[in-house]
Amino acid sequence: MRLEKCWFCSSTIYPGHGIQFVRNDAKIFRFCRSKCHKNFKMKRNPRKVKWTKAYRKLHGKELNKDATFELERRRNRPERYDRNVVQNTIKALKRIEEIRLKREEKFWENRMKVKKDKRADLEELKQNIHLVKAPVALQEDPSLALPKKMEKVKVKVEMREAGETRAMEE
Amino acid sequence: MGRCPNHKNSKKKGFSHKSARRAKFLAKGDDVIHKELGDGFMKKPLPLNEDQPGMGQFYCLHCDRYFSSSAVMDEHFRTKRHKKRVKMMQGDAPHTQLDAELAAGMGEPDNGPSLRVRDVAMGL
Repeated sequence: MRLEKCWFCSSTIYPGHGIQFVRNDAKIFRFCRSKCHKNFKMKRNPRKVKWTKAYRKLHGKELNKDATFELERRRNRPERYDRNVVQNTIKALKRIEEIRLKREEKFWENRMKVKKDKRADLEELKQNIHLVKAPVALQEDPSLALPKKMEKVKVKVEMREAGETRAMEE
Repeated sequence: MGRCPNHKNSKKKGFSHKSARRAKFLAKGDDVIHKELGDGFMKKPLPLNEDQPGMGQFYCLHCDRYFSSSAVMDEHFRTKRHKKRVKMMQGDAPHTQLDAELAAGMGEPDNGPSLRVRDVAMGL
C-alpha cells in the first residue's frame, strides 16, 4: 500500500480516495478531492494558490528544510523484510514525529512573534507620540506626524498622452 | 426535423465537439513545453507533416500551435497571449509531483543502490 500525495495541495491520498488523471504521455496526476482536480483543470498554479502546501513552503509560512523530513520518502526499491529493521523503524517513527511537531510549533511561534512585536510597536508609537513631541508642535510641523493612509488622486491622463503623440510626430 | 449536425446556419458553424476534444487531448502540457524549450527543440528542422497547416513548418512551441504561413506566425508573435506564454516559459519550471511531495514534507526519492555492474565495481 502506498500513500500518495496530491499533485495540487500535497495532502496524503489514502486508498479509495480522490481521482487520478493519466495524460497523453502516460504521466500521472493524482488529486485528493474534486477541489484540487477542478483547480488543476482550471490550469491554476499551486505555487500561486494560497491554501496549498507548495505556496506555504515557498513563502516561508511553514518549516521548509529539516532533517525530520528525510524519513518519509518514495522508495522505489523494495526492502527485504527484517524484523529488527521494522521494530527500529516503528520506534524511530514516533520519536521523529514528536521532534518534527515540536520544531514546527517553535517555527510558528517565532514567525508570529515578529508579527506581534511589529504590531505592538506601531500601536505604541501611535498612542504615545505626544511623549516624543507635543501635539501643538505636531500641528505646526506636519512632517513629524505619522504617515496617514495614501489617498487616491484623480489625474487626467488624456491631455498628457495627446501631448506625447504630438511630440512623437514632430 | 432531422437537421444536419454541422449547424449550417447557427453561430456554432465549423465547431465540432469531437475535434475540440481531440485538440485538447493532444495539446502539450506546460511542463513538456518547458522541457522541450530547454532541450533546444526549435533548433532542429521541423518534420514535414501533411496533416498540419503549412506542412507543419510554422510552429510556435511556446503556444503549441501550427500556422499556415510565416506571415500568420509573425502576426501571432505580436499577440498578447503569445507574449504572456513566453514570459511564463522563461520563469521557473512548472509544478511537478516531486515538488508536491517535497512540499508535503517528504525527502528526495530513494531508488536504492545502483544495480549496474559498472557502478557497483566503482563502489558507487
